Amino acid sequence: MTFVVFASCEDVIDVDLDNAEPRLVIEASLDWEKGTAGNEQTINLSMSTPYFNTGEDTSVSGAIVTVTNTNSGAIFTFNDQNDGSYTVDNFVPVIGDTYRLDVSYAGENYEATETLMSVTDINSITQSIEGGFDDELLEVNVYFDDPADEENFYLMRYYEAGDLFPYFEDISDEFVNGNEVHDFFEKEDDEDNNEAPFEPGDVVDIKLYGISEQYYNYMRLLIEQYYSGGNPFSSNSAQIRGNCINPTNPDQYAFGYFRATQVNVTSYTFQ
Amino acid sequence: MKHLGLVIFLFTSLWCQAQEQFSISGTIKDITNGETLLGATVYLKDTNYGATTNEYGFFSLTAPEGTYTLVISYVGFKSVTQEITLNKDQKLDFELEETATSLDEIVIVAEESERVSIKKPQMSVAKLNANTIKEMPAVLGEVDVVKSIQLLPGVTNNGEGSAGFHVRGGAADQNLVLLDEAIIYNTSHFFGFFSVFNADAIKNIKLYKGDIPAKYGGRVSSVLDVRQKDGNSKQFGLTGGVGLISSRLIAESPIFNDKGSFLIAGRASYAHLFMPLIEDVKDDKISFYDLNLKTNYEINENNRLYLSGYFGRDIFNLSKIIENNYGNATGNLRWNHVFNDKLFSNLSFIYSKYDYNIILDFIELDWNADITNFNVKYDLGYYVNNDITLDFGVSGLTYNLNPGEVRPSSETSPINYLKLDEKRAFEGAAYISAEHQISDKLAFNYGLRYSAFTRLGGQNMTNYVNNQPVVYNSDLGIYERGEAESETYYSKGESIKTFGNLEPRLGVSYQLNEDASVKASYTKSTQYLHLLSNTASVTPLDVWTPSGQYIKPQISNQFALGYYKNFKDNAYTLELETYYKTVDNRIDYIDGSDLIGNNNIETEILNGEARAYGLEVLLRKNKGDFTGWLAYTLSKSEQRTFGGNAGGPGINNGDWYNTPYDRTHDISLTGSYKLNDKWRFSSNFIFQTGRPVTYPNGQYTYEDLSVATYSSRNEDRLSAYHRLDVSATYSPNKDNDKRWKGEWVFGIYNLYNRRNAASVSFNQNNQTGLNEATRISIFGMIPSITYNFKF
Repeated sequence: MTFVVFASCEDVIDVDLDNAEPRLVIEASLDWEKGTAGNEQTINLSMSTPYFNTGEDTSVSGAIVTVTNTNSGAIFTFNDQNDGSYTVDNFVPVIGDTYRLDVSYAGENYEATETLMSVTDINSITQSIEGGFDDELLEVNVYFDDPADEENFYLMRYYEAGDLFPYFEDISDEFVNGNEVHDFFEKEDDEDNNEAPFEPGDVVDIKLYGISEQYYNYMRLLIEQYYSGGNPFSSNSAQIRGNCINPTNPDQYAFGYFRATQVNVTSYTFQ
Repeated sequence: MKHLGLVIFLFTSLWCQAQEQFSISGTIKDITNGETLLGATVYLKDTNYGATTNEYGFFSLTAPEGTYTLVISYVGFKSVTQEITLNKDQKLDFELEETATSLDEIVIVAEESERVSIKKPQMSVAKLNANTIKEMPAVLGEVDVVKSIQLLPGVTNNGEGSAGFHVRGGAADQNLVLLDEAIIYNTSHFFGFFSVFNADAIKNIKLYKGDIPAKYGGRVSSVLDVRQKDGNSKQFGLTGGVGLISSRLIAESPIFNDKGSFLIAGRASYAHLFMPLIEDVKDDKISFYDLNLKTNYEINENNRLYLSGYFGRDIFNLSKIIENNYGNATGNLRWNHVFNDKLFSNLSFIYSKYDYNIILDFIELDWNADITNFNVKYDLGYYVNNDITLDFGVSGLTYNLNPGEVRPSSETSPINYLKLDEKRAFEGAAYISAEHQISDKLAFNYGLRYSAFTRLGGQNMTNYVNNQPVVYNSDLGIYERGEAESETYYSKGESIKTFGNLEPRLGVSYQLNEDASVKASYTKSTQYLHLLSNTASVTPLDVWTPSGQYIKPQISNQFALGYYKNFKDNAYTLELETYYKTVDNRIDYIDGSDLIGNNNIETEILNGEARAYGLEVLLRKNKGDFTGWLAYTLSKSEQRTFGGNAGGPGINNGDWYNTPYDRTHDISLTGSYKLNDKWRFSSNFIFQTGRPVTYPNGQYTYEDLSVATYSSRNEDRLSAYHRLDVSATYSPNKDNDKRWKGEWVFGIYNLYNRRNAASVSFNQNNQTGLNEATRISIFGMIPSITYNFKF
């Protein structure tokens, strides 16, 4: 009864928003998939837009994009594909090495540095009904061992084929250091939100990234704001600053992030 | 030196007594139930000699030898007059009779006696009395003290269903909330939908928005002083009510051969009893209850003991996801001692605790936190002569804070046991203040409070590189956690950091004529305890933290100026006040701060400042079949935080920005109309500028998600908040011969079903991929029905 009474109303409204000047967005994710050579890498450049103008083609071509291994001095020059993506096929990933990204575009120079983080193996992937948020719906469980002797940070990415968006979770070992970590992904039965529970036969792509503390802080904030922006019990929304700076013109920094990770890639089919 | 001047002024005044003077002292009570009356007026007719009763109904009045007509009056009660010959000190107790035998309802009444309020230097105070609040329309018919004070100028909430209240642009944690002198750390049930005060058990409420008397300290914004009833000392009585959400029952009776009385009150919600019947929520439970207890015993005419307690609990279970319960527990043992007809004293031993527990089943985590304090207080009132009353006393307060203990909630849980450092502190204070009538027209109120705070050891303190718990990363333009260098262990009893502050309080009133006066005041106060919350709304899980090595005490300075006028034979009163307030060392949170389970809170915060100013107008109609008031507040509340030791420009670029409780305009219109003995109608109308919020100013795609970008903090606002509530009270039998009296209260909250935004969230639609703004509104139009009874 209380819920009937307290059931809050939600509706979509029109809001006039301020529009900031467009800013360069760097999505530079050097992800080394375990069990591969990791030589093929892609970096994407685009521009930011007014909040309600999603779906515009804002891809940025004509930039010069290089990545330097600051330990070995090796330089990787990314090739402009003229669709906003820049690729290489000779990248050499080395765990623990530090890489520097340089992007030169429209007279501005951007740079970022990041260390390539390793990731632990996934122990097992299971499915269950009892666990998760809802006792009657299927969820997929991922188990992995957290190394005890260091601080570790993880990013989980779940994606069911056919969905518009992937689902992310940030994990730190703050409360679970040295233990077998359990993460799960469950879909709600929520027609309003275009969400249907998992059923046998559904396939979920699963990625477990080992990430740096700084990138963890970035993604923690991004995830919190993405899933609960404006909720009065979430922390105040604020600009999320990545690691792509503009040394000569600091106010002209770029959005996005330059990350270097090792990643477990797998998928699970519900039985 | 300026304080010394005051003291000399005071003492020279003390010596200036001339002609032979005598005192009348005693207690004033309600004739029907023996409850002492607070703030009742005693005066000698056609003279300027008068007094008001204190928190325990005690008064003392001194005048030259002679024959007088003594008048005792209290709003809602018949005045008593008595001829007296004053030729010796004497003790006189009085009992007053209510003018109308209604149910004990609370109403926001006009100042108890206009004659005194015009004259007294005390300003910026709002009083509520146990008489008629229940007739004010309330959400779901649940009478709520905290919601009622929000109808006064200068007091707002943080949106529907948010806990706490905000006074003159201050934060919720800057209010000192006392229930029978015990600190209440969380004033809400149901995450803010209802307050912890059971209106039936409450006698009297005072809210000091400024000009805070020297006897109060520890918070920089306001003091809400709530006093419980003592219990009926004349006869056994039952009072109760049945509402949609909760029911109440109160029993009170004389005990110890009429040497004392007791009151026991219970209130509980019962929605959870029906929840198992509904498929969707059958495994859920949401409920609250509270218990109030008060008893007193009169040892003899000069000594009385009081024992009071409160225990409240909220339980919130969502099946398999979250189990949460929290609540306050308080106790207070008091000893009133009258030394003589001029010197009154009270000694209190007070205990107060707030704790919460949360179990997150899906990650198998069990979390506990609490704050406990003991307080010993000794307060004295010395009625020097008719012109001077002195209040002085000492207080000692210990804090024990357990910010969090994490346990695995099952055997298979991956969670490691973790206990955040317990924190300990001691706060001591001494004060003296005088209310001084200089002439017929001019009166002063001056006081001085000294507070000292020691953060005690029993824990490790982290030392940071360059003594910087927070560091500005100039490359990325963000604030980051500082690097820990070493730890220093402080043993229990050892002081980590000590603070001491002198807090002068000054008030002055000048009476322009019989019906009008101007007043001015200055208050300095210090707050050593801070509520950590980086969310827009206070939640039950917010953690209190003491000042220490890295967190400085908040210090506020408030200036206020007021004009007060009674007109049309006191049928109307007008109060105009303007204030300017600054708060130093207001904690602010760096972007992306993470407070949960954090043992090193200093790495997430910077010390900033806040300021607020405004104009308050209160026009009241106090007499007749139609009563009510119009309250209007025009105000500004903002804060600013520089980088300081951390470097960099500061939070929000070091610019001033609106606090979440900034409301440019705030209007409340409240009225009550008595049609006849059986029917009474009431209504509220509220209009407020929308709450400051931060909206996106752009978006970009990252990892296939649309990520919002933001500019400055709190630059946008929700749309304006307004609503109209109505209620009707039907009292079938006004027959005075029957002991059983009942009444029905029918209410409609938000009559025109305004969809006020509690929040607006910005999300990407899962179906279309487009960004959209979603408004969440909590209360639409809600009808309610409540039955109240008294036996």
